[in-house]
Amino acid sequence: MSEGLQQTHERRVLGTELLWAFGVGVLVTATLSLIVFTALTRGINPPSNVERVDPKTLHLSGEFAEQNLGTVVAADGIVTARIIATQFMFAPHCIALPQGQPVTLRFASPDVIHGILITGTNVNTMVVPGYVAQVHTEFTRGGELLMPCHEYCGLGHSEMWANVQVLSAGEFKPDRDGRLTCAQR
Amino acid sequence: MAVDQPLAADNSFEEHDDIDEAALAAVLRIVPLGAAMLAGSAVALAVLGYLAIYLFVFLPRGVVG
Repeated sequence: MSEGLQQTHERRVLGTELLWAFGVGVLVTATLSLIVFTALTRGINPPSNVERVDPKTLHLSGEFAEQNLGTVVAADGIVTARIIATQFMFAPHCIALPQGQPVTLRFASPDVIHGILITGTNVNTMVVPGYVAQVHTEFTRGGELLMPCHEYCGLGHSEMWANVQVLSAGEFKPDRDGRLTCAQR
Repeated sequence: MAVDQPLAADNSFEEHDDIDEAALAAVLRIVPLGAAMLAGSAVALAVLGYLAIYLFVFLPRGVVG
């Protein structure tokens, strides 16, 4: 190849590479901008709560004692569900939550690492012993949703699941203590 | 000290190269364009797939944080 042709070829290759690098830069910037934009305008973020809890005394007293589990509506209308993930079940096994209303889900584990997701929603988090896993969400559709453990936690892992009942405003009627269970429907 | 010089074999290769320079130039103009189109189409499809899932699956599933 002649010297002139070689130089022309190298210039073209360099031009193509720079153009490609520019295009990739635009794509990466656009993708990150979309993620940041939805995070700022719609509040969509990875759950990032860091809160310690003693897994040895989880069931004895405090927030995750048996009488505090399940869905509760505070006086100010804030809906919170507290759930324990343990080998190989969720307590409670069914959680009633409202549709179209902000809810807070709080999970704790007394034994090993678990994980949860709620089918058809973006709710998805790990449940690590010693920490409270917290997810804020708002259910856009009603109905019965499955909440399986998605982190292998032992031989009974495949049997570890719970139901989430997403109720319309007319169906979501807590009792006078602000509590609601699936059986109350 | 080693001197960076072309090997004799390279020189002989250059000397015995009977490829037509004009034809080579024509091919080198077209081939990178085809590669760029193929790579561009693949990246465009991947980006469109990502955007479709993000906009039509992820966002309608509701907020989370």
